[in-house]
Amino acid sequence: MTDHNDLDTLAAEFVLGTLPPDERDYVAARRSQDAELEALILAWEEHLLPLNGDVAPVEPDPSLFRRIEQRLDAMQLQPGAAANKATVTALHQRVRRWQWSTAVASAAALVLVAVLAFQPAQEPQSFVAVFQHDDQQPAFMLTVDLDNRELNIRPVTAEPVQGKSYQLWIKADELGPDPRSVGVLTADMDIDESALRQYNPDLLKEATFGISVEPEGGSPTGKPTGPAIHGFLYPTKEGVSGQPL
Amino acid sequence: MDSESHQSSEEINELIREVAHHDRAAFARLYKATAPKLLGTVLRILRERSWAEDVIQDVYIKVWQKADQFDESKASPIAWMVAIARHSAIDELRKHPARRSADTDEIDQIASTQPEAHTALENSQAVTSLNRCIDTLEKDRQDMVRLAYLNGWSREQLAAQYDQPINTVKTWLHRALKQLKRCLAP
Repeated sequence: MTDHNDLDTLAAEFVLGTLPPDERDYVAARRSQDAELEALILAWEEHLLPLNGDVAPVEPDPSLFRRIEQRLDAMQLQPGAAANKATVTALHQRVRRWQWSTAVASAAALVLVAVLAFQPAQEPQSFVAVFQHDDQQPAFMLTVDLDNRELNIRPVTAEPVQGKSYQLWIKADELGPDPRSVGVLTADMDIDESALRQYNPDLLKEATFGISVEPEGGSPTGKPTGPAIHGFLYPTKEGVSGQPL
Repeated sequence: MDSESHQSSEEINELIREVAHHDRAAFARLYKATAPKLLGTVLRILRERSWAEDVIQDVYIKVWQKADQFDESKASPIAWMVAIARHSAIDELRKHPARRSADTDEIDQIASTQPEAHTALENSQAVTSLNRCIDTLEKDRQDMVRLAYLNGWSREQLAAQYDQPINTVKTWLHRALKQLKRCLAP
């Protein structure tokens, strides 16, 4: 019940408009993947709509509709471009803060937001992100213990690729616009468990994580060059990292 | 109030269905029926005419693109359109907070108003029950909810106005929203 209430409060504040920009982006990205959240948001839009009765209509300048029509004309003249743009926009919303140069165009099938069924515990200190290849199977699971700032990554369906390495990235507003490398997974798909120790827990809770396929040894440019999969951290109960999947 | 606003929810539903099939004439009618309300909504948040009109352009492009996703079994058409307009305006405002002019009248304006149904798009029964529920909130919290919803105020602005820590404002808003929900529950 607590979980539902928290989600309902999140939906309510999203509709009210007072969520901090980070959380606002997060809810905007998550709602398309989370039917319960979407339903709560729609219910709040209806609940609060009567407040808008207080807004007096303002007649737009007649030229405004002409400008809108011109934009529609331009979109319809280039149906391919418009469709592409729509796809890119939709993907962009899904991947939220990830701005991979190549991934958005080439990896539509690879990119999916993780949605988890773990029940948040009170004051959770462990967080988990699932990286999915598609709707079917998680590719990797990442667990982060905020108390010790230890991370643990394990492949679920992902397999080592000859001549390629998987690289883990972190992205957060405080770290600037580009993803920052956390580290390159070893041949046995492991990573240094202390690799997140330089980041504070609050940042980690807000961050997005991504995994990209890179040339062996990691990205030569310092930025993701290959298709990416990504996930958000979700709170989970203590000790999940020690349990079998 | 202009005569174009007298469209029923069902008529707007029908127009959105036609727009989903890329019917430009229906789009023009939908615009005529709803643009004054949406411009009023966005202008109240952004407080600058040319900025608000730019956002309204984006809003109607989104309406055109997303009309086929509108599900009338899940949302009323005007709630759907107002949501697109409000969220577009608030997203703009959060990106460029300095562009919005402060106006000391905002508090007075909020304090002196009660929602009423300005157009036929609004369901007067829903207005009445929300008013009744808002009235059960403490005065400060009524104003905070209105300043946030109608004027796009952030937690930070509310905290500064009411001279409270941001976390207190957050807690007040959460309580106010929960109280509203309990009151509105059938």
